[in-house]
Amino acid sequence: MLTKRLSLVQAVLMAMALVVVLFPVFWILMTAIKPPTDWNASPAIWFPSQPTLINFKTLFDPAAIREYGVGGVSQAATDAVFGSILASVTATAISVAIGLFSAIGISRYGNGSKSTPLVILSGRMFPPAAIAVPFVIMFSTIGLIDSFTGLIAIYVAVTLPFSTWMIKSFVDDLPREIEEAAMMDGRSRIGAHLTVTIPLIKGGLFATTMFVFILNWSEFMFALVLSYTNVSTIPVQLAKYVTATAGTLYGVQAALAVLAMVPLVIVGYLIQSHLARGMTFGAIKQ
Amino acid sequence: MNHSPSSDISAATSPQAQAATGRRPGTGIGKAMTIPGQVVSVLVLVLPLLVALYMSFTDWSPTRGSLFDASFVGFENYSELLVYDTRFLYAVLRTALISIICLSLEFAFGLGLAVLFMREFRGKSLLFSAFLTPMMILPVVVGYIFWMLFQSNGPINQILEFLFGAQACVEWFRSAPFAVTAVIITEVWHWTPLFFLILLSGLNSVPENPVRAAVILGASPRQVFWRVVLPMLKPVIIVAFVIRSMEIIKLFDEVFMLTRGGPGSSTETISLYIYKLAFNDFQLAYGAAAAFIVLIGSLVLVHMLLAPVRDQLLDGGR
Amino acid sequence: MTQPKLELVNLVKEYENGDVVAVDGINLAVEAGETIALLGSSGCGKSTTLNMVVGLEQPTTGDIRIDGRSVVGVPAGKRNVGLVFQDYAVFTSMSVRRNLAFGLEVRKTPKAEIARAVDEVAELLGMQDKLDASARELGGSELQRVAIGRTLVTRPSILLLDEPLSNLETAARHAMRQELRRLQREIGLTIIYVTHDQVEALSLADRIAVMNAGHILQVEQTSRICERPEHVYVAGFLGSPPMNLVSGKLAARKDALVFRSTAFDLPLCALADLQAYPGEQTFSLGIKPERIALTNPGKGMISGTVTLAEPRGHESVLSVTVRGEELKVVVPVESQPAEGTAVDLILPPDALAFFDGETNKRTDILPEGR
Repeated sequence: MLTKRLSLVQAVLMAMALVVVLFPVFWILMTAIKPPTDWNASPAIWFPSQPTLINFKTLFDPAAIREYGVGGVSQAATDAVFGSILASVTATAISVAIGLFSAIGISRYGNGSKSTPLVILSGRMFPPAAIAVPFVIMFSTIGLIDSFTGLIAIYVAVTLPFSTWMIKSFVDDLPREIEEAAMMDGRSRIGAHLTVTIPLIKGGLFATTMFVFILNWSEFMFALVLSYTNVSTIPVQLAKYVTATAGTLYGVQAALAVLAMVPLVIVGYLIQSHLARGMTFGAIKQ
Repeated sequence: MNHSPSSDISAATSPQAQAATGRRPGTGIGKAMTIPGQVVSVLVLVLPLLVALYMSFTDWSPTRGSLFDASFVGFENYSELLVYDTRFLYAVLRTALISIICLSLEFAFGLGLAVLFMREFRGKSLLFSAFLTPMMILPVVVGYIFWMLFQSNGPINQILEFLFGAQACVEWFRSAPFAVTAVIITEVWHWTPLFFLILLSGLNSVPENPVRAAVILGASPRQVFWRVVLPMLKPVIIVAFVIRSMEIIKLFDEVFMLTRGGPGSSTETISLYIYKLAFNDFQLAYGAAAAFIVLIGSLVLVHMLLAPVRDQLLDGGR
Repeated sequence: MTQPKLELVNLVKEYENGDVVAVDGINLAVEAGETIALLGSSGCGKSTTLNMVVGLEQPTTGDIRIDGRSVVGVPAGKRNVGLVFQDYAVFTSMSVRRNLAFGLEVRKTPKAEIARAVDEVAELLGMQDKLDASARELGGSELQRVAIGRTLVTRPSILLLDEPLSNLETAARHAMRQELRRLQREIGLTIIYVTHDQVEALSLADRIAVMNAGHILQVEQTSRICERPEHVYVAGFLGSPPMNLVSGKLAARKDALVFRSTAFDLPLCALADLQAYPGEQTFSLGIKPERIALTNPGKGMISGTVTLAEPRGHESVLSVTVRGEELKVVVPVESQPAEGTAVDLILPPDALAFFDGETNKRTDILPEGR
């Protein structure tokens, strides 16, 4: 009774919404394969006159674009791509590993205290620009500024509430009796968690890992203020490209943007049924 | 790693560790399992926060040597911010205004779309994924995409010209109202899918029988929706608003890419202002004080919003 | 002849293009002021029937008439039929008062009139002091009262109740059962209960319609339906324990008619007494557990062994195994034999019922009939 069919008006509305949602994605994809002559055309060109992968090539070989008579970019994005992968993957692995233990500890042995999560949530509300300030000072003092160690440490700390609370919500879904049965069979508590709890939340663990990866891969501000020459990530590189060459290198910028978003969109589709849970700290389950 | 202040702070930040009354078997193991998480939180979140708090009561700036040499100025930074700094005041008001407009629009569009998705139609799961796409894209890239779209020779002006003629074209980043509009459009495009996702999962879990009962009692579809379905969605709606408020208060990446706060400071959000204070003007102490004012304000705000659904949000729906 | 309040005529409901037939051509006439129970196990089609009467689902074919007028095509909410859900479906976001007023508010009834109707119903249900409580704070039987009251406020001509007592504690069940009977008397509603619980049906309804697999098998006065089931399914469904059913054949042996099953042969009557020989086809023999008598070995018609004795208050339910066939026998608890005792059974001819093996309907074979 609730499930009526879509009326014509509703179908039209939905089609319009779909166009609005997909047009920006379409635009960036098209721009990324435009040759330099199409980049800044006025009026704007929607479909590339000659689709090319030269923009992507230029990201790793700044001179490549010269064959089109364009000056080329000052800096290859190779280090930034490498930096994004290194920082995101490492920080995600550490964050999920620590979060897993905290989640089991809180879910199974916590005394139901309400204030711990409040402290964590409050931490999430603090403007990152302000957290970045003491970081810059502390890291300068101990030599962690412009280092992957420093960046990864921050990423782990920032995503830890998400990994802990998301994994906890999956552990909460498991009945305690399952582990208790394993303990009856003579396994230790830790043993029961390793052999029973963790295998049972495999799917949730995967979703959490992917979700935390999205957060780390997307991070911008900390990378911006903590990186100088040794450390760069794709978002920082994209900002540099835009600042340095505004309006003239759309194609190369767009190629880097596509490189940044494609992994996330794929990962996002993979875990789309868990996105709500992740974004709401496990409050909304689907 | 294991220096002295951490132990005091960890006790303060984790009530469950100090209030170990009513022990259950395995409480020790449970505590042990949470130690790594607490250590990381303390070292990388609490410690910097305390440094920032201390700093906010000084006049320190990197040009003046070590933080420990800085002179203590009490609440001077705070009073300056709250009483004299109109740029800060405007950043706060601007962020509040953008937040309110964005969240209202995101809620309205998200709800409308979610209601459409309660109907039957073909290709539903494919369209569902398609509508989620924006929230999967990283904020910096979203900012960049819309920066391109809003260029004076970009496609948005092109479409406006096609629909309404050449006079409808706008220099989006040259005037304050249009720049703010561009920021709002970007933000709404980016995050409406989150409202859609949360509200759809809420709608799907609305029990059927009260809806049927309302129909049998003679309610029209409209009355059923506004009087029965929507009130049942209230907790979910609040969760969505709380989560989004927490994020939009920190709005930075998209604006940084779109306008850098310009023209002038007409799109400067709180985060952008603090960033500029700290990293362009090197007024670190002053920026830290601004951050704490924001933190306290948003804490009060979110906790007020949260009060009716606190248990659901924090206990993962238990 | 008075017009029935509600009439179901050859009502059919199919799903998935006819692959699933939930309701398979039922006919039923409900008189005004009558209380009737639709009794059947889950999946028998009773809920689908209810949904069609109230208008939540449309019949595939057939007609539904209220006061002689077809209501097929009339939307739910305009049929003047009330439905109380098994889970009550009270609007938890509202107060009790708003719940009760809902049906009138959506009809844009004037405020004063709503207030009057709400007060009236609250008094009827004894809920005056709960009117401003939130529905979320109510317990099971209070929720049920709100659900009923919310419907009564709209003055339905027919009230449908879906499993009205199944979500209540035993004590609340008894109270609610009396309450429902009182309501029924006081306002003379036409009430249709849908239930899987025969005790509920037997205690509440004037008549019972037993449903199975989309068919109504029998509609009968409550007082008679247990005594005289007309269908082998009804016989095996009603009663606690239900009627014993043994399938077998009729045969002539010497000059007597004998019922032969794999377990036992039971002489029925002299062939000469029969008006016509019923033939060799399969029958089910039915006898109520209360009508079987025990006697010492060698003295009865059938010999068996008590394999299980379950005392139940003042009586005891025995399972007596006769060469692999198990019969239930109810005896007074004082005369309950120990498990393992060999006993003989007496099956009085006037207690026997026969059901045709093909049609499953009751047929009278023995001369006296009954």
